[in-house]
Amino acid sequence: MLFHEIYGRYFAVVSEILTEAAAGTLTDAKMTELVREKAFAESTLTIPAALKNGIWPLLRPDNSTVLEHAPTMPLTTLERRWLKALLSDPRIALFAPDAAGLEDVEPLYPQDAFVYYDRYSDGDPFEDPEYQQVFRMILTAIHEKRRLRIRFKSGRGRRQSWICIPVRLEYSSKDDKFRLISFSSRNPLTINLGRIRICQLLDPYTEEEFRPKAPRRKKLTLELTDERNALERVMLHFSHFEKSTEKLDELRYRLTVTYEQEDETELLIRVLSFGPVLRVIEPESFIKLVRQRLDVQNRLRAQN
Amino acid sequence: MAYSELIKDFGRIRDYMRQFYVYGFKSRMDYTTKSARSYDNERRRIESWLGDYMSFRQDGSGKNVYLSVDSRSIASNPLYQAFKAKSFTNGDITFHFFVMDLLQGGEAYSAAEITELIASRYIAEFDGAEPLDESSVRKKLREYTELGLLTCEKRGRENVYRRSGEDIHPETWRDAVDFYAEEDPLGVIGSYLRDRTPHGTETPFGFKHHYILHALDSQILADILAAMQENRAIDICVVSHRGSKGPKEHTVYPDKVFVSTQSGRQYLLCYHYQFKKPMFFRIDGIQTVKPGAVEQSPKFAEYCARYREHLWGVSPGIGFNIDHVEMDVHVGDDEGYIIDRLEREKRCGRVEVIAEHTCRFSADVYDASEMLPWLRTFIGRIVRLECSDKSVTERFYKDLDEMLRLYGGESDAVP
Repeated sequence: MLFHEIYGRYFAVVSEILTEAAAGTLTDAKMTELVREKAFAESTLTIPAALKNGIWPLLRPDNSTVLEHAPTMPLTTLERRWLKALLSDPRIALFAPDAAGLEDVEPLYPQDAFVYYDRYSDGDPFEDPEYQQVFRMILTAIHEKRRLRIRFKSGRGRRQSWICIPVRLEYSSKDDKFRLISFSSRNPLTINLGRIRICQLLDPYTEEEFRPKAPRRKKLTLELTDERNALERVMLHFSHFEKSTEKLDELRYRLTVTYEQEDETELLIRVLSFGPVLRVIEPESFIKLVRQRLDVQNRLRAQN
Repeated sequence: MAYSELIKDFGRIRDYMRQFYVYGFKSRMDYTTKSARSYDNERRRIESWLGDYMSFRQDGSGKNVYLSVDSRSIASNPLYQAFKAKSFTNGDITFHFFVMDLLQGGEAYSAAEITELIASRYIAEFDGAEPLDESSVRKKLREYTELGLLTCEKRGRENVYRRSGEDIHPETWRDAVDFYAEEDPLGVIGSYLRDRTPHGTETPFGFKHHYILHALDSQILADILAAMQENRAIDICVVSHRGSKGPKEHTVYPDKVFVSTQSGRQYLLCYHYQFKKPMFFRIDGIQTVKPGAVEQSPKFAEYCARYREHLWGVSPGIGFNIDHVEMDVHVGDDEGYIIDRLEREKRCGRVEVIAEHTCRFSADVYDASEMLPWLRTFIGRIVRLECSDKSVTERFYKDLDEMLRLYGGESDAVP
């Protein structure tokens, strides 16, 4: 059963409060702070009151607890079965977790239960030991806040070497690839992990040096005509972007999508895929890109 | 009943969250399936859980509430919050902490002993606090055994309960859990595990093209997967998102879950007993799943496997006829990446270079019209497009004409 109170925010926050109480460090202010940080917006009205008034008789008036230990909870069967299912995924080789304790556990599902039918077929080589080594080195650098020297082949086949501060590993399910998001003293650097040949851990960087460059973000305004179920298709397709939608009339909607400059070509073909039900309103530069492709296509059609 | 930010039933909030997240232009007046008070309560709950992601806009139709999330910049899927808002009784929460504490040293006790120990060891300190009654404790012990938090064994003629072993090393799973909590279709379970770790939401991972809406369907998906594991048929209650048709019941044999990495949609591929053919159902349209009989024969799985060979996406078309599609694409000098693109996106299709600057994609699929969105992504390169179903090419060129008209192309469309 997925939907159960033992997995809930209330149980988690009360557990943290009782941990503080068991350590003798709980104050009323700390309790309120924990609830505000870890529970929901209105939980400050309920959780502290229930603990202080003895409705949940777990805390004494002096904020010590009647429990004899700091609270802990074993993994549930659901959680164990989920972990076991992950062991059959090819990407798990990147993490090499300790599978001890899961020997007799039945996986929650077999990996072949899922078909990712529109995933690109040239995903990263997750089972390649060299790839795994690069992946783990980057992960270590992120955790230990250290600089990295990476050597890679650029898109044009040139060998390059960079010293960078890694920010995160970004995965795309569609591409089935990881990319390293990083920055150097001058520039942001994003690179597919599959291109990195050698990776070397360097010295730690300071908090002051960690100044990731924000990607350049742009806005695209689209007008949608709700034909052939376009409203739902478009809304779902663009749902992973920060966006806002406005209803213009019974059939037409205006959609504003915020995207990163480097994704413009990809966004262009995604807009084209919807055909005439989705029209770019602004910026003019994006309209030009659409028009250019349409004109070339029209000429190709006339020639053949 | 007094308002609470916690909920007993997930079904109702599932639909509201979907509407707020996917659409975002609807005002209070547009939510007509339930009362205005129900809308107010659900909106207030969602605001309480996801305040940081809620946005508001005022227009002629009233105040519009919507969820706006750039899923590339989040550490954790915010929609998981709904699964962490299950309501409970005062007895539930106190039992939980008492029983976990009582059995932490590895002891095993009967239900009567646990009831007595909880009363004497913990509750006795509090004047006027109600002790837990033995029948409630017994019921909770059974529930905790099913959850896997406790194990039950025999001591003479009575059952005794012990905490389950903690033989897994969670620290070695930390990065894997951070990753799969977002990437796995049942990542909400990973999110539960993340909540237990001290590093909280800090993660070394980010996600691009990250569709998060499926989180709301996690329980339905889990029920389907459980039936698949046991080779069971299921009874599903389905509501179409398109029309106003009411819920419909279907008895099916579940075969696979199809996931789109380009829209986030999930579909159940199953064999339909009544219609005697494979069918797809959108998982976000399934309201309930009830396990049915165990299916002894593997023939339905084999039937579905053959069927999958000619699927482009999730449409069987009409009558399982196969359409042949051919598209010749122009590839300029130094544009080898176009061939690479065709290769990685071809699915069940084939790619061949037929001339110095021309590459041919061909496929045999049940429903070629399903390929139209993908074919359009090659606009500007398509030298030739043919399909055995003429309506597909007609639709393509009609749409192209319409787009040329919309954008005011350099010349009139070729008739």
